[in-house]
Amino acid sequence: MATDLRISNISKIYPGCIANDNVSLQFKSGKIYALLGENGAGKSTLVKILSGVISPDNGEVFLNEKNLKLSSPLDAKKNKIGMVFQHFNLFETLSVFENLSIDATEDNKSLRVRINEILKKYNFSIDLDVPVLNLSAGQKQKVEIIRCLLRSPKVLIMDEPTSVLTEQETEELFISLKKFCDEGILIIYITHKLKEVLSLCDEVAVMRKGKVVSVSQTQNERVETLANKMVGQKLAKIKKKINISKNKDEIFKVKHLNFYSDDPFETNLVNLNFSVKKGECLGIAGISGNGQNELFQILSGEIITPDTSIIFRNKEIAKLNPKQRREYLMAFSPEDRISQAAVPELKIYENVALNNFKSSNFFEKGLVNEKKIKDHSKKILSDFSVNTDNVELKSQFLSGGNLQKLILGRELITAPELLICYNPTWGLDVGAINYIHETLIKINDQEKSTILISTDTEELLKLSDRIAVIYKGKLSKIMPSEEVTPEKLGVLMGGGSID
Amino acid sequence: MSLDISFIGILIGSIMASSVPLILAASGELITERSGVLNLGVEGMMIIGAISGFALMVITDNLFIAIVGSMLSGVIISLIFGFLTQSLLTNHVATGLALTIFGIGLSAMLGKNFVGIPGKEFPILFSSLKESIPFFGPILFGHSIVLYFAFALPFLTNYFLKKTKLGLIVRAVGDSPVSASNQGINVILVRYCCILYGGAMCGLAGAYLSLIYTPQWIENMTAGRGWIALALVVFATWSPIKVLIGALIFGGITILQLHMQAIGFRIPVQFLSALPYLMTIIVLVVISRDSRKIKLNTPTSLGRIFYKEK
Repeated sequence: MATDLRISNISKIYPGCIANDNVSLQFKSGKIYALLGENGAGKSTLVKILSGVISPDNGEVFLNEKNLKLSSPLDAKKNKIGMVFQHFNLFETLSVFENLSIDATEDNKSLRVRINEILKKYNFSIDLDVPVLNLSAGQKQKVEIIRCLLRSPKVLIMDEPTSVLTEQETEELFISLKKFCDEGILIIYITHKLKEVLSLCDEVAVMRKGKVVSVSQTQNERVETLANKMVGQKLAKIKKKINISKNKDEIFKVKHLNFYSDDPFETNLVNLNFSVKKGECLGIAGISGNGQNELFQILSGEIITPDTSIIFRNKEIAKLNPKQRREYLMAFSPEDRISQAAVPELKIYENVALNNFKSSNFFEKGLVNEKKIKDHSKKILSDFSVNTDNVELKSQFLSGGNLQKLILGRELITAPELLICYNPTWGLDVGAINYIHETLIKINDQEKSTILISTDTEELLKLSDRIAVIYKGKLSKIMPSEEVTPEKLGVLMGGGSID
Repeated sequence: MSLDISFIGILIGSIMASSVPLILAASGELITERSGVLNLGVEGMMIIGAISGFALMVITDNLFIAIVGSMLSGVIISLIFGFLTQSLLTNHVATGLALTIFGIGLSAMLGKNFVGIPGKEFPILFSSLKESIPFFGPILFGHSIVLYFAFALPFLTNYFLKKTKLGLIVRAVGDSPVSASNQGINVILVRYCCILYGGAMCGLAGAYLSLIYTPQWIENMTAGRGWIALALVVFATWSPIKVLIGALIFGGITILQLHMQAIGFRIPVQFLSALPYLMTIIVLVVISRDSRKIKLNTPTSLGRIFYKEK
């Protein structure tokens, strides 16, 4: 039976922010719909309303012309609307089976049979009796999907499902979603990733500042047209002028970097050797989990490895801790903004103070020099166009893009000679990505160097002067980026060889 | 004093009796904490249970009413805690501490007229078997019904948490209240129920002290047992069976060191008095070393305030 979902004039107003402004949309089964928008455009609010987590101030939802009253998540479930949230709604310490059985109405035996049928049908392999915290992000998402499928949903809503997935897992997800669609489930796919919209979805609705600004067939759209609709202005195209000059000084040189770990979740690094020249950007590509985490931590001094030589500005720094390395004018931007780069519960200026130098005088005789830190923070906020000037704001209320700008600002305001960043644009929207790319290019223009560890090949090709690929803890040969194509990178990242 | 076999039997029997209040209070608190609520008011709820049980016994002369009344008083006082933390979203730690202080003060006030009144003998079961079987008699028989209930409770609690749907829901709420709420579980209701259940068990633990163990009312008669129960829950890493083991060790060493003091061992008395605390912690830490298991048993959201998105 065909499903027809209609949203009519939905509004939701939070103090100081109109999350949804008179949103009307229509969806029909047999197609995959994209709901596209930057962070904070109101997509998540809309899906929370559809799943009954929050109630709208105004407006109605119709499923097959029946007016739905969605005042709790139970109502959405009863009406066969399934929802996979961006932040998983799983119980980490319970087993997979317990997670699935918690809202089941049948007995455990027949539930297990049904789960196994689903596992088989969609080719999922998950052990039902391990605790969820042992699963990978992709597997956790599958558990969420199974939970929805158990209720034979008419509508399946996916909120930014690929933000935590590897490329392999993303591909698997898309295959499953297409299968669900063929079986008559109406799929609404929320994302800010343009390419996913084009490769997966049939129709796309673009949201901006709480409003729906366009609804169109994806076949009539291109990445650029969608990006412009999403941001509301024409985005400048960024292209870096590659500067390779052979004569420039090597500012950073790593020799014999080895790392062995007993932890099965860590990757061993095998004899990494590379160097970075003044004003150069060295890109390190690779699928996540191939040793990037460990490499970043060793370069930043969080892990000290024996017998490794790291020369920076003619000094041996391999035994120094992150703070000491910073004093030598290195700067770091880790992958995980929330837990590694900043403390979300602290205010903006307190986060800025975390990166303190002897020279910055943030602390005097053991006391905090609040005024100095605040002035310094204000300068960062304005220099790096963070979308607030309130240094008292808790960092957790900044969007991902603004938080990343704050972190980069904090690192760069000391004019470091070398910035090492790991997936700096992970999970950000196009506007913020553009800004951060421009910033990174500017650093190189000022004759400062960068090491960019990234899983985004497009980003690497755009920003790097030379690129190497890390695969299972080994580094490929370093290539000038004009010789590199996405295809070549793809082969190397998959463990292949191009010679 | 001869260490013959029947004496050891009597000793074990008295150790079991002394650990009953700990088992009851800790099992109740365990359920509360498993739902993610940290109630530090155990001591306060116990002492309220003790005085209301004793007072009701004196007034009505009916032990059944006294026992049920003590549990109800535990429920009522924990309802205050529940209302404050779940409906008014106050801090769990501060509210729990306040509850303990309140309970101790209130019980002293209510108990003024009951000091010095002798208690009533509580009926014991199978008293004939206790005398006739050597060694096992005093261990297995001749106890109050509350003791048998207390020793069954950790196993019942374990079964409830691991095997029943409701237990699963309690664990889910303790793990992630937000996820549970998004799954349509009424988190606040579940937590209220767990808090009230914990209150009832603490009330019963108090009544055991004032009606059965030392049948009389003395001000502050719980003497820190509530805090021990709280510590047991944590050191037993939220496992009901380990709570039982911990309570027995604590009760056992408390009794043994008293005997050692009486015999006149040449160990400082202060050290002997500290021994139960020390040994309980050491043993529980040793049997709960498996960090993976600790992680699975620990209620992730413990002590965190939950409010529903509107």
